Amino acid sequence: MSEPIVEFRHITKRFPGIIANEDVSLSINKGEIFALLGENGAGKSTLMSMLFGMYEPDEGEIIIRGKRERIASPRYATQLSIGMVHQEFRLVSNYTVAENIILGLEPERKILGLFPSVDIKKANHDIAELSERYGLKINPEDVIENLNVASRQRVEILKMLYREAEILIFDEPTAVLTPQEIESFLKIVEGLRQGGKTIILITHKLNEIKAVADRCAILNRGKLVSILDVATTTTDEMARQMVGREISFTTPKEPAKFGEVVLNVEGLTVKGSAGLDAVKGVTFTIHSGEVFAVAGVSGNGQNELADSIAGLVQSSSGRITLNGQDITRASVRERINAGIAYIPEDRHNVGLVLDFTLRDNFPLRQYYIPKFSRKGVINEAAFDEHGKRLEAEFDIRSSNGMDTITREMSGGNQQKAIIAREVDMRTPLIIFMQPTRGLDAGAVMNIHKQIIAERDRGAAVLLISLDLDEIMDCADTIAVIYNGGINKIAPAGELTVDDIGLYMMGVGKTA
Amino acid sequence: MLDMIIIDGLSFALPLFIMAIGGIFSEKSGVTNLALEGFQGFGAFIGALVVVSLSGVFGAASRVPYYAGFVFAVIGGGMFSLLHALLCIKFKADQVISGVVMNILALALTSFLTKSLNTSLFGNNANKFVLGASERITIPGLSEIPVVGAVFKEVYPFEIIIVLVAVVMWYVLYKTAYGMRLRACGDNPHSADAAGINVYRVRTLAVFISGCLSGIAGMSFAYSITANFSPDIYLGYGYLSIAALIFGNWSILPALFACLIFGFARSGGAAVINQLGLPSAYNDLVRPLPYVLTLLLLVFFSKHNRSPKALGQVYDKGRR
Repeated sequence: MSEPIVEFRHITKRFPGIIANEDVSLSINKGEIFALLGENGAGKSTLMSMLFGMYEPDEGEIIIRGKRERIASPRYATQLSIGMVHQEFRLVSNYTVAENIILGLEPERKILGLFPSVDIKKANHDIAELSERYGLKINPEDVIENLNVASRQRVEILKMLYREAEILIFDEPTAVLTPQEIESFLKIVEGLRQGGKTIILITHKLNEIKAVADRCAILNRGKLVSILDVATTTTDEMARQMVGREISFTTPKEPAKFGEVVLNVEGLTVKGSAGLDAVKGVTFTIHSGEVFAVAGVSGNGQNELADSIAGLVQSSSGRITLNGQDITRASVRERINAGIAYIPEDRHNVGLVLDFTLRDNFPLRQYYIPKFSRKGVINEAAFDEHGKRLEAEFDIRSSNGMDTITREMSGGNQQKAIIAREVDMRTPLIIFMQPTRGLDAGAVMNIHKQIIAERDRGAAVLLISLDLDEIMDCADTIAVIYNGGINKIAPAGELTVDDIGLYMMGVGKTA
Repeated sequence: MLDMIIIDGLSFALPLFIMAIGGIFSEKSGVTNLALEGFQGFGAFIGALVVVSLSGVFGAASRVPYYAGFVFAVIGGGMFSLLHALLCIKFKADQVISGVVMNILALALTSFLTKSLNTSLFGNNANKFVLGASERITIPGLSEIPVVGAVFKEVYPFEIIIVLVAVVMWYVLYKTAYGMRLRACGDNPHSADAAGINVYRVRTLAVFISGCLSGIAGMSFAYSITANFSPDIYLGYGYLSIAALIFGNWSILPALFACLIFGFARSGGAAVINQLGLPSAYNDLVRPLPYVLTLLLLVFFSKHNRSPKALGQVYDKGRR
């Protein structure tokens, strides 16, 4: 049972400016569930990308089944029975499940014994059988774009199994799943292991490691910190080793002191990009000094809700009032002036002008006020001064100070810059949309502290997140959005994670 | 008159159609193809050159130059399209710019070569290769059917070739493994790559096919509309076929429907002018009809059309 199937020996991988992996040696046994734990940028994904042939190591060697291999391409990795499910799924959206799985390895038949054509019937049949065998519920004839995230993930798993992969790598597999989906994913992983597969999980979620993994390697800044036996190690210990210092995962906060109603949303309906109603008659209020958190599975109208309050899209019916002022039909600029700050989900396309310098990105929402420009001519000195102050106040790190092109900054610092810009406007309402997506534990902690600080200053905070831990950590009031409607609103203390998970799936909805 | 509309309509619609299929291949694989216009012209140039060269050898009665002309138009269009493939796929150039460059280049190159080859090979100064109009075939029996019979009346041989090739192309795109991979490359090249498919090779072949099919179209126009090869062949039919494939939502059968509308609009308009006894100069007024129609149709019907997701995106393995 414990013969090594994969061995990394003294692996080093450099990218321009950083060492992604430094002298990493570890071995993974056949039939185990092996977890790789570390913060963002710790080098987990790079290490596994080398196993899957996407990069080659600069130094060191990879041994597969006792034989030294040079894995130059994913295609060769597939030949070695290595499969990988990436964070972003690699699926053809307008193809069926079966078509996606057989792509590149299509079973053929001959029409009239002469013309080769793809045998889709056989494919459907084979895949139905395969999914049956591993308990992965899926209909081979469903089209990908109609499937939810959990089903798409099952398609990715089937893709590996169809190619007879023995070593299955999962990159952050549960980041986008609901608690219930995570549970069933972990069961699937168990099942795969019982089927004789070796499983490598890249994750930073300690509970999942504790639940299924046998052993766990911890990486920090590209170096291997330790390899732990999961059964005999506490999650606190894993966390300490992962971050390299003591860390608490909950943000300390005083009880909330609600003030006046700041935002009042009544019967808000917003059309999505497909022309259908994405937000359906939503009503809620947020008070000064309250963190109002909206939980939900991705794509249930969160984007449209945030955009319509910020003014990026117009609502088709309903009323939005801010401090008693009706802003339902107000333009984005009128809303900024009325007092709305917005940290959007899409940092790159909405949050920043990526090819502008840091200096020019800060006053993006205020450049027209007298402080920054007079008679249409911008005041560069004021830009510079403003930027330097924010840089210092919010601890934004960049290679070139105010002249840094924001495209070149790390995701964490880009997000810090956006938050700095928005928070500094000291508005009565501040909207955080997925503020910590893709950031590491340290950065997440900081942002959560800022959210609480904004609340304590007396702002009304609308926090929309897919991350339940984040919601549990920050919220005073929790609303669950499902299919465009708010399914439940309750004070944070009255809901458990499991409750929220059920509401996220539409349970309790009578419609 | 109805016969005339059907006969002329088809002989214009089918070359458009085969070119639109070429465009569908290229664009379904993810390569924007504005270069159809240039491909058809270059293909027709090579085809016409072969016809003119061979007609001296085989004599006027022989049909060999005619069919050889089509074979070489296919080869010529295909070879020329490889330049577009090279620029877009290998050198990752902007596909729109490359397409426009192809069109300008084809016009310039073939005008120049026609003139200089006429001078050096055939000893005249003409800026065209004279082909004469193609013969027409009337299929006995079928052509006797009232109204619909016109479809089989006075058919150019190339129309039959086009129908056969179109059927094969439909089968390749929707039934074979290559077709499935091609369409995958246009939607999500990363997933195709992850499935072990060579995205660059699939796309190059797709562009090559679009060049070959455009060559058939160009040669057909040269044999039917202009009766010679000259720079007059660049009348914008390539763009019209792009309109047809967009109107047809990047699918072969709806594109055929679009091409037929264009064809009948053109022949119907000419017939009306004829019927009214207006001078032939009015024909110039009718000529833009398919384009105007295209615009109107696209405005009203293209809302739900969806282009291939990765259309126009340069695929770079290293970037994710």
